[in-house]
Amino acid sequence: MYAIARPWEPRPGGLLSGAPLPLLVALGVLTAGAGALARAELVPLTPARALGAGGAQGALLATAVAWAASRGGPAPWLAATVVLAGAVGAALSPLGALAYLAAPVWVWLERARLPGLGLARAPAGLVVAGAALGALLGAHLFVTASLTLGYSGRVPTLEGLAPWLAYDVGGNVLTTEAFFRGALFDRAQRRWPFPAAAALVTALCLVRYLVDPLLPRSLEVTAGAVFYLTLLSLANCWLYWRSGSIAPGVAAGVVFFVAYRLLHVVP
Amino acid sequence: MTASGRRTALLVAGLVVVITAGLAAADGSPSTPWRHLYLLPVLLAGLRFGVAGGLIAALGAVLGVGPFVLREIEGHGPTRAAAEGVVTLAVLAGSGALVGSLAARARRQRERYETLRAVQRALAEPAPLGRVAARLAAVLTRRLGVDAAGLVLDEGRIVVGADRLDPRSLTARVLARREPEFVTDAGTDARARRVVVVPLASDGETVGALAVERLGDVSREERDALVGFGAAVGLALDNARLAARQRRFAEELEHKVGEATARLGEMDRLKSGFVALASHELRTPLTALQGFSELLATRAFAPVEVRRLAEIMRGEIERLGRIVSDFLDLARLERGLAPAIRRAVLDPAPLIAAAVELFRRTRTTHRLELHVEGALPRVDADADALDRVLKNLISNALKYSPPGSCVRVRARATDGVVAVDVEDEGPGIPAEERARVFEPYYRVRETAGLGPGTGLGLSVVKSLVEAHGGTVRADAAPGCGTRMTVMLPALP
Repeated sequence: MYAIARPWEPRPGGLLSGAPLPLLVALGVLTAGAGALARAELVPLTPARALGAGGAQGALLATAVAWAASRGGPAPWLAATVVLAGAVGAALSPLGALAYLAAPVWVWLERARLPGLGLARAPAGLVVAGAALGALLGAHLFVTASLTLGYSGRVPTLEGLAPWLAYDVGGNVLTTEAFFRGALFDRAQRRWPFPAAAALVTALCLVRYLVDPLLPRSLEVTAGAVFYLTLLSLANCWLYWRSGSIAPGVAAGVVFFVAYRLLHVVP
Repeated sequence: MTASGRRTALLVAGLVVVITAGLAAADGSPSTPWRHLYLLPVLLAGLRFGVAGGLIAALGAVLGVGPFVLREIEGHGPTRAAAEGVVTLAVLAGSGALVGSLAARARRQRERYETLRAVQRALAEPAPLGRVAARLAAVLTRRLGVDAAGLVLDEGRIVVGADRLDPRSLTARVLARREPEFVTDAGTDARARRVVVVPLASDGETVGALAVERLGDVSREERDALVGFGAAVGLALDNARLAARQRRFAEELEHKVGEATARLGEMDRLKSGFVALASHELRTPLTALQGFSELLATRAFAPVEVRRLAEIMRGEIERLGRIVSDFLDLARLERGLAPAIRRAVLDPAPLIAAAVELFRRTRTTHRLELHVEGALPRVDADADALDRVLKNLISNALKYSPPGSCVRVRARATDGVVAVDVEDEGPGIPAEERARVFEPYYRVRETAGLGPGTGLGLSVVKSLVEAHGGTVRADAAPGCGTRMTVMLPALP
């Protein structure tokens, strides 16, 4: 047993210690700059949004990598660059968003050097449970939005859905799960009880989506986002807590966002 | 999750789905009385799975009722029906949390009592402390729902849950500080490993430490319960240790009483044998004295013959005297008294030579050799007692060795003592009986038939030698036979 046979020393460092501050500042400047340029109509809205989102998501993945990398692990700026490459691709053309898929490929290739990122092999049952949860929430969202709020569904086409799918897999869900579950929640749950850690991470995760320029600005969409993303985040925290892996959360997130993309909410 | 838990979860999910489908199939109004049916799965889940179960079931109900409430608000604004629907959602969530909390608390209380009973059962069975501790750790692991439980007792000598106690470990820290410790993250697992270590206290003393580890949360309530367990387990362990000590003491006592009883039985048997033997030993010289005295009284003998008969009678009287002296010495020994001796500084060499010379003259059937190596130092001894010791040993050597054989007496000074060896060429004493020949009444079975004896001679020798601060021992003589060695402290 650890408590009897191994020496114990208090672990140094706070919850946010070890964050790559210069890189985060640079990515923050990029994100804010893209927003400012878009508002000043110096850059078209779509590429500005893509670059802003890429900067923010790159910051999330870079921070997660910085916290998770063992000695000799990949540099955080590499993680940000991979995500930004997807964002640049998306800014250039809709199908360019497929470049977002480079992010999961890069993470997968670097998994051996990222032992603390929640890339452990998860029990298949929990991955299935995650996908089922995403399907349940997605279906409920779809039914509720289409039957009560008047948002109609749309028939997915490959050209229409593929960029969003690539964005969700490589930019949206991966960076969110890697940072909020694999990095932040992992650190928080090692300090506080599950409810406190999950509440903190869920609150921050909600902020991340509510400030996302890609979220349509309407009351019902905001309320729906708060409701569903709270449930999704809490459930993903529980899945991570049980499995020590972000895979179930990624499964839940991807399936949920696929359902979301099938609604005519996205502009 | 157990099979019964899975069945309950499926039942709850099924009820939520069926009720939602029923509401959708009916008028779909959020104020329909049928909405209260959601209480059934919510309460069921709360009772079975606690707060989390109640809340998740309530969430299922919210997901079911939510669309009806939203549609009402979207279509008709904040109507009374919509308000009723919203209140229903709040009531369901509150009910689930409340019932789950109460059920969980009751369950925890019951589990705590059951754990204490299991601990008491584990400690009640008599076994060595190490095995009791291992059994206790297994019970606690199962009952507390932890991944591992370990115990450290007896200042680290008994460790359960690891091979050894690391002096820098959390448990060592708890033993030193006597305060419970809670670590939210130990080890390098993908999941956080919580560790709680509490001291085991009894009567104000720390008798050990209990450590538990779990991949998952350990609530404050559980930690407080563990501290309570520490006190209860410490007390119970102390009681078990006392009970084990009492059992051990009782077993030792029983063993000793058994040994003493057996020894008393043997003493009784030996004494009975001795009475018969002593009667015989006393009768023999008395018969001789009676016969010779009658001859002298009734017949006229030549002076030479009279002297011969008188010599025989004197020998028998001396024999009687020796037997009576042995009895008297033995009586003193059995009363716990040392033999009466009158010490004086004397040279042992003339005493040894006189004893040898006496037997050389009277026992012509054996050869008697005397070797005195160098000048012997003086000793502080009773001359009569020393004479008895020497005569006893030489007499025994002559008695138990075949005619024509040689009895050697060797005296020497060594390491501050005067050592006297008496060696014979008899059958010898079996190694396992050499220590027992100095016990009163004891006679070596194989050689008892070789000559008369009371079984007291060597015990008297031993008591006399020890009264002088010396020792006597029996060894095998080189070749065959026995060597008796007496060592007496020499004067400087």
